[in-house]
Amino acid sequence: MSDAVIEVSGLTKVYRVHERQEGLGATVRSLFRRTFKDIPAVTDASFRIAAGEVVGFLGPNGAGKTTTLKMLSGLLYPTAGEARVVGHVPWKREGDFLRQITLLMGNRTQLVWDIAAADSLRVLQEIYRISEERYRATLGELTDLLDLGPLLHKPVRNLSLGERMKVEFAAGLVHSPRVAFLDEPTLGLDVSMQARIRRFVAEHNRRAGTTILLTSHYMDDVVALCRRVIVIHHGRLLYDGELGELAQRMAPYKVITVALRESAPSAFLDELGTVVSRDVASVRLQVPREHAPERTARIVRDLGAALADISVEDPPIEEVIDRVFAGERMPEAATA
Amino acid sequence: MTRYLGLLRLFVRTELQFALEYRVNLLLEIMQMIVVAGTSVAAVLILFSYTTVMNGWTLPQMIVLLGVYYVVQGAEELVMQPSFQKFMEGVRDGTLDFILLKPVSSQFMVSFRHFQTVQVVQVLMGLGVTVFGLSQLATVVTLGAALAFALTLACGFVLIYALLLALSTLAFWFVKVDNILAIFWAFIDAGRFPIDIYPGWLRLTMSTVIPIGIAVTVPAKAVAGQVDAQTMALIAGATLLAWLFSRWFWKRGLRAYTGASA
Amino acid sequence: MIRVYRALITQSIQVLSAYRVSLFLYALFSFIRPIIFLAAWVAVAESQGGRLGSFSRADLGGYFAIAILVTHLTAAWDFFEFEWEVRRGSLSPKLLRPLHPINYSIVNNGLWKLMTSVAVVPVAVAVAITFDARFAATPAHLALGTVSVVLAAGLTFTFGWVFASAVFWTTRVHAIVTLYQRTAFIFSGQVAPLLLLPAPLLVAALILPFGYMLGVPTEILRGGVDVTTALLMIGGQVVWLAIGIVLYRVVWNAGLRQYSAVGA
Repeated sequence: MSDAVIEVSGLTKVYRVHERQEGLGATVRSLFRRTFKDIPAVTDASFRIAAGEVVGFLGPNGAGKTTTLKMLSGLLYPTAGEARVVGHVPWKREGDFLRQITLLMGNRTQLVWDIAAADSLRVLQEIYRISEERYRATLGELTDLLDLGPLLHKPVRNLSLGERMKVEFAAGLVHSPRVAFLDEPTLGLDVSMQARIRRFVAEHNRRAGTTILLTSHYMDDVVALCRRVIVIHHGRLLYDGELGELAQRMAPYKVITVALRESAPSAFLDELGTVVSRDVASVRLQVPREHAPERTARIVRDLGAALADISVEDPPIEEVIDRVFAGERMPEAATA
Repeated sequence: MTRYLGLLRLFVRTELQFALEYRVNLLLEIMQMIVVAGTSVAAVLILFSYTTVMNGWTLPQMIVLLGVYYVVQGAEELVMQPSFQKFMEGVRDGTLDFILLKPVSSQFMVSFRHFQTVQVVQVLMGLGVTVFGLSQLATVVTLGAALAFALTLACGFVLIYALLLALSTLAFWFVKVDNILAIFWAFIDAGRFPIDIYPGWLRLTMSTVIPIGIAVTVPAKAVAGQVDAQTMALIAGATLLAWLFSRWFWKRGLRAYTGASA
Repeated sequence: MIRVYRALITQSIQVLSAYRVSLFLYALFSFIRPIIFLAAWVAVAESQGGRLGSFSRADLGGYFAIAILVTHLTAAWDFFEFEWEVRRGSLSPKLLRPLHPINYSIVNNGLWKLMTSVAVVPVAVAVAITFDARFAATPAHLALGTVSVVLAAGLTFTFGWVFASAVFWTTRVHAIVTLYQRTAFIFSGQVAPLLLLPAPLLVAALILPFGYMLGVPTEILRGGVDVTTALLMIGGQVVWLAIGIVLYRVVWNAGLRQYSAVGA
C-alpha cells in the first residue's frame, strides 16, 4: 500500500552510553579504558500511517516515544530498520523532506525569546520559501483558528505559557506541512487551554488533512483526538489499533458505583462483582461487561429505597493503559 | 545563494530592530566601546612617550594595528560570538533540534543567526582608527597594499571563524564548552600588539592555535606594503585548510549528535 | 563566627572542586595581560638601548613577574557574580539569612586564590627567568610588601563590592563596570609600571585608589622604592581602605533599602 504517509519497519535504536562511576579511582581508570553500556530505546518497531490519520503514541516516560518521533523527523538515525516518511528516508534530512514535516515539542520553543513571534515567523517564511500570498493566507487562517490576535507582535518572553504554545503551533504549521509530529504539546497547560489546543488540532486535521502523530501524558488528549493508538513500552510496540478496542480487550468490565442512603447491608454486592472500593456510603465494583445490565438491575431491585445513586461506566482509560504497561498480557480480540 | 543572503538580511534587520528598542542600552554600549578604545590608545601613547619605534613599528603603524584589532574584534563580536554562544546553549537545552529540522544548512544557521548589531560601531571605529593611522604614515597606500589588506583581513576573519566553529563543535561531545571559549577570550587581548614582540611560545600560539595574532598583525603590515606575495599565499593556504577542517569537524560533530541525543 | 567560617570554607571547597576546570581557566587572566605589556615595554626599552628611566630590561621583567602574582592575589570578581545572582534570584535567600552575603564572597575569593596559585606561581617564575628579572628587595621590603598585598586585596575587594552594589539600582551595571575596569587599566599599573607613567597620570594614580591596588604592592615587593616611601604608600593604602569600607557600608545599606522597596 503506497498511500501510507509513514511507513516504519523493524526500527531499532540502541544508545551506547559511557558508564560513569563515582570516585577518583574510577574516573582515572575511565580515562584509559571506557566501558560502555548498550541501552535499547526502541526495538523492532513497525507500523504504517495513512494520510490524514491522527495517531496517538502512548507510553510511560522512557518508553521510546520521543526517540521514535526523533527518528521519524530525521533528528536521530537508527541502529537498524527502515522508515519512510512522505516517501523520504528521514535521517537523510533532504530539503524536500524537511519542508513537508514539522515537529512541535511541548517543553521547548523554536522561537527566539527576545523578539516578537512575527519576526521569527518571517524568518520561517524565508527558510521554507513560502510565497507572500500563501504566507498571509496560512497565517490568517492560523490566527483565526488559534485566536492569536495581538500575540504575534509581543516579545515571546512576555507571553504566558498557553499563549506561547498557541504561537508555537502557528510557527510549526505556517509552512503547511503534510505530517506533524507533536511531542507532548499540551504539557503544563491549564485545562481550558488544553481543550482549546485539542479543538485546534482536530480542526486543523479536518481542514488541511495533515497526518498527525501525537504523544501525550494526558489521556484526555489521546481520547479526544486519536481513534488509533500505538502503545509503546520499554521500546516495544504493545498495541496498535483503535482506542475503544484496546479498552474492550484490556478491560472487559464496567464499573458500577453504588451510593447507599444509609449503612445498608451491602455484603451481597460482593457476589455480583469484584469490589474495588468500599466505604460507609458507597461501593464500587467491577462487573464483566456482558453481565453489567442485568447486575445493575438486580442492585436497583435489591437495594430499593436504600439506593441513593448508581452509575455504570467504562473503566477509566488510564486504568486500561496502566494495565498494559504493567505488562498484563493482551488478550486476543474477543469474538463479537 | 540568494536565499542565504536574504536570510542574512532578515537576521540583521530583526536584531537591529530589537537593539533599537533599547536605545539607552545602545548608547551605553557605544560609550563603553569608546572608553575601551580610548584607553587602549592611551596605553599605546604611554608606551610611545618613551620612543618613536617599537620593534620596528612606528606610532602611526601601531595606531593602524590597533584599528585593525578593533575591526577584527568588532566583526567577531558582531556575529560569531553571539551566534556560537546561542548554539552552545542550544545543544544544552535541545533547541538545536529545531535548527536541524529546517531545510537550510545548519552550519549557516548556527553561525549567523544572531547579530549584536551595535558591534558595527566597533568595526566602524576600528576602520576610523586605521584610516587615521594611515593618514599619519609617511608612505602612501598603494592599490596593491589596499588589496593585500583586504585579502589578509578576509583571511583573518575566516581563520577566527574556523577556530570558533571548531571550538563550538566540541559542544557536541563536551556539553560545557564555555571554558574553552574563555581561553580564547583571554588570548584575544594579546592581538592588540604586533605578535613579533612576544616571546616565542606566545607568538606561536597567537599565529597558530589562536590566530588572532595573524588576523591582526598581518593585515596591519599588509596595508603598509610590508607583506610579500609568498606570505600571502601561505596565509591563504592556511585559511583554506582551516576552513576545510572546521567544516569537516562540524559534520562529524553533527553526526555524533544525531547518533547520540536522547 | 569561626564555626560559621569553617562551614563556609567546607562548602566553598566543594563548590570550587566541582568546577575545577573553569577555576583554572580564570587564572589565565592573571598572567596574560602582564605578559603582553611586559613584552611591549621590553620592546620599547630595547629601542632606547635597553634602559627606560630607572628601569632596565631586567627591572621590567621583575616588575611584571611580580605583577602577575599581585594581579592574581588581588583579583575580585564580585560585580559579575552579583549581577548574575540578582538575575538568577539567588540573592534574596541569602539576604534572608542572618549572615551577611559578603562572607560567602570573602571565603570564595580567598579559597580560589589559594587553590589556583599553584598554576600561577610557576608562570610568574617562568617569566622572571625568561626575562632575567632583577629584584632589589630587602627583607624589609618583603615584609612590607606582604602587608601591602593584603591591603591591596582588601582594596580591590571592597571597591569591587561598592561598584557591585550598583546592581541594586540599575540593571545596566555593565557600563559602570567597564568604566571602573578601564580606569584601573590605566591607573593601577597594568599598562605601565607606576613609575613609568607620565607625571600627571602618576599623580592621579596615587590620589585615586587605583594605584594602590596593583602598582604599589608590586613596586614594594620588587624593591623599586625605598623603605620610607614604601611606608608612605602603605599609609595611602590604609587611608583608601578605610574610605572604601565606609563607602561600602553606606552604599550597601542604601542599596538594600532600594532593593526591598522595589521587591526583592
